[in-house]
Amino acid sequence: MTNINGLFDKIAKTLWVGLGCLILWAIALNLTNYYVPQILMISIAVLFLVSFGFYAFSIGAIVYCFKRLAEAFVTIFVITTLTFMLLRLMPGGPFDQEKALPPEIKANIEAKYGLDKPVLVQYFDYLKKVAVFDFGTSYKYIGRSVGDMILQNFTASFILGFYAFVLSFLIGIPIGLFAASRHNTFWDNIAMAISISGVALPNFLIGSVLIVIFSYQLNWFPPALWDSSLHYVLPVVTLGIRPAAFIARLTRSTVLDVIKADFVRTAKAKGLSQFTILYKHVLKNSLIPVLTYSGPLLAGILSGSFVIEILFAVPGVGKDLVQSVTNRDYPLILGLTLLYSILLVLSNLIVDLLYSFFDPRIG
Amino acid sequence: MYLGALDKRGSSVSKLLSLLSFFLIFSSCVKKNTSGDFGLEKSKTLRMRLTGEPPTLDWHKASDTESSLITSNIMEGLVVYSYTSDGVGVSPALAESWESLESARVWDFTIRKGVVWSDGEPFEPQHIIDGWERLLNPKTASQYAYFLYSIKNARAYNEGKIKDFSKVGITLQGHKLRVELNHPLFFPYLLTHSSTFPVRKDIVERFQEKWTEPENIVTLGPYSMTKWIHDQAIVVKRNPTYFGSPARTENVIFYVIQEHQTAINLFEMGKIDVIRTLPPKDLPALRKLKEYYTYPSLSTYYYGFNTEIPPTNNKDFRKALIHAVDRQQIIKILQGDHKPLTGWIPHGMFGHNSDAGLAYDPVRAKSYLKKAGFDEVNSPPKIELSFNTLEAHKTIAENIQSQIKENLGIQVEIKNEEWKVYLESLKVRPTHLYRMGWVADYPDPNNFFEIMLSYSENNRTKWKNKEFDRLVEDAAGLVEDKVKRLELYNKAHEILVTEEAPVFPIYTRVEQHLISTRVISFPTNVMVEFRLKNTSLQ
Repeated sequence: MTNINGLFDKIAKTLWVGLGCLILWAIALNLTNYYVPQILMISIAVLFLVSFGFYAFSIGAIVYCFKRLAEAFVTIFVITTLTFMLLRLMPGGPFDQEKALPPEIKANIEAKYGLDKPVLVQYFDYLKKVAVFDFGTSYKYIGRSVGDMILQNFTASFILGFYAFVLSFLIGIPIGLFAASRHNTFWDNIAMAISISGVALPNFLIGSVLIVIFSYQLNWFPPALWDSSLHYVLPVVTLGIRPAAFIARLTRSTVLDVIKADFVRTAKAKGLSQFTILYKHVLKNSLIPVLTYSGPLLAGILSGSFVIEILFAVPGVGKDLVQSVTNRDYPLILGLTLLYSILLVLSNLIVDLLYSFFDPRIG
Repeated sequence: MYLGALDKRGSSVSKLLSLLSFFLIFSSCVKKNTSGDFGLEKSKTLRMRLTGEPPTLDWHKASDTESSLITSNIMEGLVVYSYTSDGVGVSPALAESWESLESARVWDFTIRKGVVWSDGEPFEPQHIIDGWERLLNPKTASQYAYFLYSIKNARAYNEGKIKDFSKVGITLQGHKLRVELNHPLFFPYLLTHSSTFPVRKDIVERFQEKWTEPENIVTLGPYSMTKWIHDQAIVVKRNPTYFGSPARTENVIFYVIQEHQTAINLFEMGKIDVIRTLPPKDLPALRKLKEYYTYPSLSTYYYGFNTEIPPTNNKDFRKALIHAVDRQQIIKILQGDHKPLTGWIPHGMFGHNSDAGLAYDPVRAKSYLKKAGFDEVNSPPKIELSFNTLEAHKTIAENIQSQIKENLGIQVEIKNEEWKVYLESLKVRPTHLYRMGWVADYPDPNNFFEIMLSYSENNRTKWKNKEFDRLVEDAAGLVEDKVKRLELYNKAHEILVTEEAPVFPIYTRVEQHLISTRVISFPTNVMVEFRLKNTSLQ
């Protein structure tokens, strides 16, 4: 058994390397304004799932995974049902407007979308369609398939969210480590003051200030629209600052705890350099809380941010989620709720599995 | 295949590299065009802002301004509006000429020959009938199907009571199209609306819901669509086969930019040329710019009274409230140069009457309040005023609240609701006073008066007056006798805004745009309709 696990571990590691290369390749293409081919994205997704499967197997968590996925299925089913029913309880319908429609026209529209049927029938019709991945057509964006809409706009939200996620780690963790290693000094205070501001300042304010400086004054980056990779910079930074600040604070506080542990004293006694101790031993042991935070963060950040998408005119799903509620666009609301639920469940599962990578004591 | 190979051999760098080079070869050829404005030459391209993604470009289903901005530039109907100093008229487009018979109950149109669609196919008069059939077909579920309800049997067809479209009052003989109406009406006005445009049935049937995508859509207007990147931009370019005078500007890009401030940022940096809607809070600063442009539109901002609940069921009480509010104060606060309105018909429209209605007069307000049975001993109860959540509506509501308190001592409680909840509340039980607005569908007073008919879905005041109904119905049919028509409308006005006062008109809206100095002759008109073909660039 150990042998098999060892083999799977090896395969998983190889696959991780391959996956990493593919992701880097996709990033390189995206940042140099090439279209990222669909086949590359599909390969990344498939490879990701496969390598995660091997990884889960190698740590003996495959049964656990299936159990979690089964639970997730139930959770998502309940969420969908609740959302469906709550939407029908919400006052105001999708076709209410300032210029009231004659009743016969309203009847035609309701018949077209099946809204004239009893709610339960509508619900079962919806479930039947969702089972074959048909999310229906939008009420507001007439004739557009909700699946297509989500796929299209999720791409922009994904790009924005992915870079912001990476950025928040690239900024947050070094700042946290830096502050902790200079605990109670001037530099610690500065780092923490900056990160508190990052958490406290609202996105739209940060975004506006960045636009004034980098678009109006310096003319380095475009103030809005979604075209080349230059257009990504300001929204990504705006979106990444808050989680970066949070991660910095989280890292700092855990590092301060870990730094007092016996093994750190041992490492110091062995004469290891401060850098090696911090980055090799302390950091790995401090990442658990950050990891816990990164699950919901990843789901939240990938499913789009209303404020940032509106401010920078990014065609993402964050604004769709808010506006579909305003428009009472039931199929779109349901589709996006489903997307968010799946993202949340998956990212939490991934995080739970990664715990044992950072801390083998967690089985 | 590669993954399988990897499984067997473990870490095989060469396999990985070959995988990577595979993608390199297949992806390196497709680079995005990131030179800005889709690589179009700036001097030949007008760039406008859309406040949101157009919900559809299917002109039979569209019901919003963003969609119709696009459709009215890529398509054309039987007639188009012409703007003259004494109002709005119509001029020929797909119809060469027309005449009315039986006091405007029957209309004959002569359809233009030699028109071609953007795919090279000839335009046939049958395409108009196809379009109207599609609009009225209950399966299309068009919100604007009622636009053709005045045609004989059209309503019954839309309700599904008649299945045979040939029973609807439309007949075609060669290039002569005859339309039979239920009652006399100036029918050509309705034909300017995009819901009445012709359609290529073969294209719709072939591509179904996707027929409006740029690779499928077939049009015949001054522009044709080349790109529609959902939620980002729509690009149209001059249609070389257009039957009218060709568009002066070669390309137009419509960028979807929802946030006002973002649009202003892009405008100030010279990335877009036209913004059609401006945030009220920024007007004090923006109105100083040389690019700031205003003009009145055919629209009314008003408050309605719930005439079924006390005390607003008492007309003297309603009149007291209207007399107590100085509209000038509201307009001053809004800073948008709107035009105060006491009558029901907006400034600039036939039938507008500046003498109609109740003007600001606090003394008269008090006397009406007394007449309604309220005085120092019997003080009036608190009333409720509602509006849908929006900063400008709130500003107006608060001002009305304070003026009524000051001039009559009546407590007004203001309440805001999210748009759809608000509409639902108005359906179920409107508050004493509620905010509403109306924008002309076509430039005729009938379009405004008919919303106050006893049986209109849009009459949320619950006010009913048979005399008013009769006057409005009679006036609608008097197409050829303007003098008599005006007389009837003046009487209707008298009942609606002076004697009974179920509505409280506040102002005619003035549109505010930012138009770059590089744009020459941007089309601005009372119908807030943007036919861009005559726009040119410096």
